[in-house]
Amino acid sequence: MNLPYYPGCTLKANAENFEDSAIKVMEILGYQLNEMKDWVCCGTVFSMTTDDLMLQLASIRNLLRAEEQNLNELVVLCSMCYNTLQRAKKFITEDEEHLNKVNDLMYKENILYEGTVDIVHLLTVLKDRITFDKIKEKVKKPLSSLKIGGYYGCLLVRPKEFAIDDFEDPSIIEDLFSSLGAESIAFPYRLECCGAYQTITKKDVTIKRTYEIINSARRAGCEALVTSCPLCAFNLDQRQKETAEEFIEFETMPVFYFTELMSVALGGGWDKSWSKMHYVDPRPILKEKRLI
Amino acid sequence: MKEYKPKIVCFLCKWCTSAGADLAGTSRLKYPASILPIRVMCSSRIDPMFVVKAFLNGADGVFIGGCHPGDCHYHEGNYHTRRRFAMLTKVFDTLGLDSKRLKLSWISASEGTKFAKVSNEYTEKIKSYGENPSKWNVFL
Amino acid sequence: MKRIGVFICHCGINIKGTIDVEKLTEELAEYPGVAYIENYIFMCSEPGQKLIRDTIVEHKLDGVVVAACSPTLHETTFQDALDEMNINRHQLEIANIREQCSWVHDDIEEATRKANLIIKTAVEKLKLNESLIPISAPLTKRVLIIGGGIAGIQAALDIADGGYEVILVEKEPSIGGHMIQLSETFPTLDCSQCIMTPKMVAVNKHKNIKLFANSEVESIEGFVGNFKVNIKRKPQYVDPDKCTICDDCTPVCPVVVPSEYDEGMSWRKAIYIPFPQSIPATFTIDTENCLGFNPIACTKCSDACEPDAIDYDKKPEYFEEEIGAVIVATGFDLYPVENMAEYGYGKYPDVLDGLQFERILSATGPTGGEMHRPSDGKVPKEIVFIQCSGSRDPERHLPYCSRICCMYTIKHAKLYKHKVHDGQPYIFYIDIRSGGKRYEEFVQQAVSEDGIVYFRGKVARIYKEADKMIVHGIDTLTSKKIEIKADMVVLAMGIKPNNSAEKVISNLKLNTDENGFLIEAHPKLRPVESLQSGFYLAGTAQGPKDIPDTVSQASAAAAKVLALLSNDEISHSPIVAIVNEELCSGCGICVSTCPYGARELDEIKKIATVNDVLCEGCGACISVCPSSAAQQKNLTDEQILNMVKIYSYL
Repeated sequence: MNLPYYPGCTLKANAENFEDSAIKVMEILGYQLNEMKDWVCCGTVFSMTTDDLMLQLASIRNLLRAEEQNLNELVVLCSMCYNTLQRAKKFITEDEEHLNKVNDLMYKENILYEGTVDIVHLLTVLKDRITFDKIKEKVKKPLSSLKIGGYYGCLLVRPKEFAIDDFEDPSIIEDLFSSLGAESIAFPYRLECCGAYQTITKKDVTIKRTYEIINSARRAGCEALVTSCPLCAFNLDQRQKETAEEFIEFETMPVFYFTELMSVALGGGWDKSWSKMHYVDPRPILKEKRLI
Repeated sequence: MKEYKPKIVCFLCKWCTSAGADLAGTSRLKYPASILPIRVMCSSRIDPMFVVKAFLNGADGVFIGGCHPGDCHYHEGNYHTRRRFAMLTKVFDTLGLDSKRLKLSWISASEGTKFAKVSNEYTEKIKSYGENPSKWNVFL
Repeated sequence: MKRIGVFICHCGINIKGTIDVEKLTEELAEYPGVAYIENYIFMCSEPGQKLIRDTIVEHKLDGVVVAACSPTLHETTFQDALDEMNINRHQLEIANIREQCSWVHDDIEEATRKANLIIKTAVEKLKLNESLIPISAPLTKRVLIIGGGIAGIQAALDIADGGYEVILVEKEPSIGGHMIQLSETFPTLDCSQCIMTPKMVAVNKHKNIKLFANSEVESIEGFVGNFKVNIKRKPQYVDPDKCTICDDCTPVCPVVVPSEYDEGMSWRKAIYIPFPQSIPATFTIDTENCLGFNPIACTKCSDACEPDAIDYDKKPEYFEEEIGAVIVATGFDLYPVENMAEYGYGKYPDVLDGLQFERILSATGPTGGEMHRPSDGKVPKEIVFIQCSGSRDPERHLPYCSRICCMYTIKHAKLYKHKVHDGQPYIFYIDIRSGGKRYEEFVQQAVSEDGIVYFRGKVARIYKEADKMIVHGIDTLTSKKIEIKADMVVLAMGIKPNNSAEKVISNLKLNTDENGFLIEAHPKLRPVESLQSGFYLAGTAQGPKDIPDTVSQASAAAAKVLALLSNDEISHSPIVAIVNEELCSGCGICVSTCPYGARELDEIKKIATVNDVLCEGCGACISVCPSSAAQQKNLTDEQILNMVKIYSYL
């Protein structure tokens, strides 16, 4: 079965391992992620400013492309793209004036945007369409005894209109990993912000966040974190280098994309090329648990 | 051209919908002056004849408001109304009157916002139908 | 023809602001039937009423239309004015040009045109109004009170002391309500049980009070002065006359369940007495947990009972009582912590709600009044109190202010400090609302003497780490994020209408607001009456309130009931159905339509009749009459059709 899929820029660069593993996992589950044609950047943070319609255009153009290609939904992996596209869609569909203005601005396009494309996160597809019970049946290598903390960050659950689960107390990642045989731990800081783009201008802010989040996970007993956001992954994983320099007692913890561990559990294995995308080497823990 | 202002005769039960309309007033909500209220004790008091007469006399719409099913002050009056309303729409179609211009809504004493909302929407709807044509065709 | 006077009220600028009253006066002066027309700034004021009275004499009026606010507000005021001038009160009509006209429209021209029509319909109706005299009906001088909390108890004692019989129905095995669970009460810090138990005993001893504990009101039929109530008394399985309260039964009972009285923080047996001072002082078997039912697996309590008071075969008993009035005092429950994901859904034992903390503070509570936390019995050294938990959150929880939480939280913090001198209480608040006699002083004293730290802001999340509860919040005055490692958290949960009252209230067809609280007849001037005559409201069933306000309201409701019962008979509205004997064919459709059994067939005359006393005037029988023989007094088909004509022509 084919699923129309919007990758976003990061998945073609810093997070190739995310895309790679997702495609692999979906193949095992009998689905093909079909990359939509002519996509552009989602617009990321710029579209979150509310004062300028222009900044919504990147997102809207993607949805317009999807409409042109007769796609009625887009599966998204990156939490940031998911959130940005959802916000942009809401911004123009909830107010006719916004919609008309956007269409006016895009007068060179061939069709008018109507707002018919649904934006779906891959986790929602796994939960609602494939179901965790089905996934459980396909597990080849259960992630037994691996203590996993699901890190949601802000983008998957806020604002609450687009939350992929209960926005105060989500359990979708925990449920997924329980079905993969892992021990899911809902640690306190799983909904805290990672610091996001502060990582560029105020590195110290993200370092402090990383320190707190990873330590919170460790105190709760986690051995590794999983996320669905390349930016969170960058801040939580790559920034552990600086965090360890800043706080001498800090112990590192591997951070995975949820699809990477799914691939391991469902028999897709661990691709060597994924290792170099991580700062904290994930192989020791996988070896220790006899998963690779 | 003068804007078309419909005349909508509204039968409101004393206990729920009229109290809801009062609450809409107390809350200073706004709706068009086309809503013309007649207070009755219970929606079940409304004889279908009142509705037919209103149309033949030239009303553009008739609205009936009662308590929510199960909440009737007189236990089951609104069930009579519900059944009678279903029958009335049939009769309207048979007579060649426009049953789309009839509206029945359950609005409780606490639903001032609902009263204003229904009033606004219903007036818009009647406006879109234009003037009641049957007032020029008195045939009864 | 009737000489009708029309009086248009300005209501200050409430009506005059959107309705051109001068133009209206001019337009309607020539309307057929209008003998006199006038407008005035406040018709309901004494000068306004005097204007009506004087004009009646001067212009020989025999009917009055007052164009003003909703008839629910001042219809009786103006009817009384007519009474004074010896004009029948049914020769008054109110044209509601405020709530249903001036307040809801902006366009002066439109609103004035609509007001004109509304007044004309009132004039048309009035033209055909008959002079009616109230129907008198007998009055049963007994009162039903639903709910045996402090509101019900206070009202019961006041009415019983007034010399009338009271039927007090309480759903739990003991009266006392939530107040008996409290430790000490603000702002005087007197012990709740010490002031409550004498009242409970008084209820039990009072010769005019008939107590039905462990009972429920199934239905109430009839009308004011003449209700019949059906009460179901759930079986207690222990005969109160035989039981000596020796307590030989509970030690042998093998079933242990969480105690409701201690809010689940201690245990009770399946055969139990809710708390030592229970009234009535009898044991009850809880059938949901007892092993003696379906099938009998255990008879230990029965075997141990020397007076042989236990009977597992007891069935519910049903009682029918005649009453004249009802006071609804069904009380409140706390908003459930289970609804609050951000505060852990109630899964942390050291995150308590307000009532649980009351039990910890109480000398009769699970810790004997000593400060220990539920999880491990440790003495909490740092406690965080969170006000407005579930209140003032229209997006997700209760939209309203629960009124008592500010005060009970400061009381909690103070009492905690009295027990743990080196402890530190923190309180998160949005606002501190201490509007009551000596309330502000109480708060100030607590802040200055007891070292309570207040943070203005909300708590975003609570979680457990090791044996501490970590509280994440914000202090909006300094814009600092706050993290407190607390030993215990107390949520000042908001209050909502009692869980089990919903069924009773909907059975009684009483109006509730969007939050489920009972609606009073007038928010300021008739705060203890329901719009449904014969029903009165007391306590938190009507809205959140503290003990002094609850007791005041209960006494007020009692006073209203006593005033009603001081009459020898009751007057019933004469707006009833009538039958035109000439037209009636005796088909009997009206008989089957009437919800009150007020319609009967006269077997000799072969026509339908109306029992005036039973008729509530809904008019259902009138619109079903195929021969138009049935009519409603002062709301005849002709009157309604004339009103319809006013609106539809033009």
